[in-house]
Amino acid sequence: MIHTEHLTKIYRMGDAEVHALRDVNLEIKEGEFIAIIGSSGSGKSTLLNMIGCLDTPTSGSVFIDNVDTASLNENELAEIRREKIGFIFQQFNLVHTLNAVENVALPMFFSGVKRERRLRRAGELLVNVGLGDRIYHKPSELSGGQQQRVAIARALSNDPEIVIGDEPTGNVDTETGNTIMDILESLNKEGRTVIVVTHDPEIAAHAGRTKSMRDGMVLD
Amino acid sequence: MAYRSIRERRTRSILTVLGIAVGIAAIVSLMSVGYGMEEAITGELTGMADMISVVPGKITGTTYVELGSFTDRDVKDVQRIAGIKDITAMTYDAAEVEYRNKRAPIFILGGDTKELGSFYVDPVGIKEGRWLRENDFKGCVIGDLVANDFFDEVIHVNDKLIINGEKFVVVGVFEKASTMYAADVDPHIFFTLRASQEVLQTDEVKYIMVRVYDIDEAEEIAEEIKEAINDNHGLDDFAMAMTMGSMIEQIGDVFNIIRGVLVGIAAIALVVASIGIMNTMLMSVMERTHEIGVMKAIGAKSSDVLSLFLLESSMVSLVGGVVGCVVGVIVAKVISFGAGAALGIEMTAVVKPEVLLGGMAVAMVVGVLSGFYPARKASRMSPVEAVRYE
Repeated sequence: MIHTEHLTKIYRMGDAEVHALRDVNLEIKEGEFIAIIGSSGSGKSTLLNMIGCLDTPTSGSVFIDNVDTASLNENELAEIRREKIGFIFQQFNLVHTLNAVENVALPMFFSGVKRERRLRRAGELLVNVGLGDRIYHKPSELSGGQQQRVAIARALSNDPEIVIGDEPTGNVDTETGNTIMDILESLNKEGRTVIVVTHDPEIAAHAGRTKSMRDGMVLD
Repeated sequence: MAYRSIRERRTRSILTVLGIAVGIAAIVSLMSVGYGMEEAITGELTGMADMISVVPGKITGTTYVELGSFTDRDVKDVQRIAGIKDITAMTYDAAEVEYRNKRAPIFILGGDTKELGSFYVDPVGIKEGRWLRENDFKGCVIGDLVANDFFDEVIHVNDKLIINGEKFVVVGVFEKASTMYAADVDPHIFFTLRASQEVLQTDEVKYIMVRVYDIDEAEEIAEEIKEAINDNHGLDDFAMAMTMGSMIEQIGDVFNIIRGVLVGIAAIALVVASIGIMNTMLMSVMERTHEIGVMKAIGAKSSDVLSLFLLESSMVSLVGGVVGCVVGVIVAKVISFGAGAALGIEMTAVVKPEVLLGGMAVAMVVGVLSGFYPARKASRMSPVEAVRYE
């Protein structure tokens, strides 16, 4: 479903070059639940951003469904992000001027789903993550765990095949973290491919497969 | 959604709207006050457009040189010219005036009371007392400056003045005259023709005012008057007959300057407003780079983000423009009223629809363009970069 070939990312910081990813070759199968584990600075988030089409590689390629994402233009990448991938951030990244249901409906807004339909579906998604009584709350009125569940609902908005979590439990307590991982597990059981990045082995234990990263390289 | 975003950032949006409104208000008010000023002055002048003033002298450079005085025959000849509604012959000279032991040289104007009245009393108005009557040989009417400024004490009706040694009673005091009449009325003392000739010890006519029936003929009649008087005195340019039209032409330069200053002020206001609008717009979009990144990360196309922000900035600009126009009109009215009161002329701000439309256009164009630039920049960032931007 997803594979990378010689994926390399180099950041320039003044005169220095930081090799965030060095020749990463990784294959993720459809319906898999994979955890990428590594300390901070190991390049795991960079890898995730590449797979999630949020950033472009310096060299090498990311293939999604055998399509080289480097060959796609801006709008085609946006379409993949919108329709194929649900991204969950460590910082939740909700739009704080919108309430929960509007945040969840936002990807559908960009897909051109009619207002009534997208709000109804957004409401259902919030019920599914256990926030049926909070759908009109603003992000600032929700706890971290609740915000992350809104973010998960948003990631599912356009019913993506791939769900990507970048330290999805990083900003919540252990118990809420487990709830979130349970939700991700159930998403995997529904047949979605789930990719999670974490530095916490306990969280990684929820995944079917674990890969470690260090210094921009995936260890075998 | 654009609306929600505006509403949720109420303070920020109000400040943005204010930033735009202030700029637009500056343009609208300055332009309106300017137009009002122009209209007030031309209005006064056209109100006097049927007048021709005839003086025995000429203007050399910027100074007036008196060449003598008119004779009774001049007056009679002028009266004979067709198309003249009325004519006032006036004596005019300085006299020594004494009030409560203080002395001052003041110019005296004497003429037919009815005619003089129709030239000055109707447009200026009497504040105290009454206008001169034909038999007021020992009475006089004084201008506002004479009454209030020339002596230590204010002069009122029934006060006595000693003029060139003779006693006179003040029977009336003029209102403060508007700009166009101020030089004619405020610093003068008015007499009947006979009284003035006695006081000044002369029967010379120094000033003839003529009113014509048809303004279009004024120029022609002025020419005839000049010729008639010049013939009498055997000189080519003894008399000068000026219509209001030619006076307007003479001060046309002043108008051009006023207009130039106005355009300059408007241009400055425009630049200041534009910079202000750009600044507020830039700030309000820049600080949302993170939000733009989030939107892109969840699948918004650059064009989605751009149109969202354009919609938002055009809404803000529209409101800013409307508020600016309203505030501008109010400010213009207040300024005109204040300035009019201070200058003693009637002045109302003239709000031209094209100024309002122009103001709106500036708000929209500058607002949307300066919203467009940072929005486009942010929408072109990679999502990761934009999301990281806090």
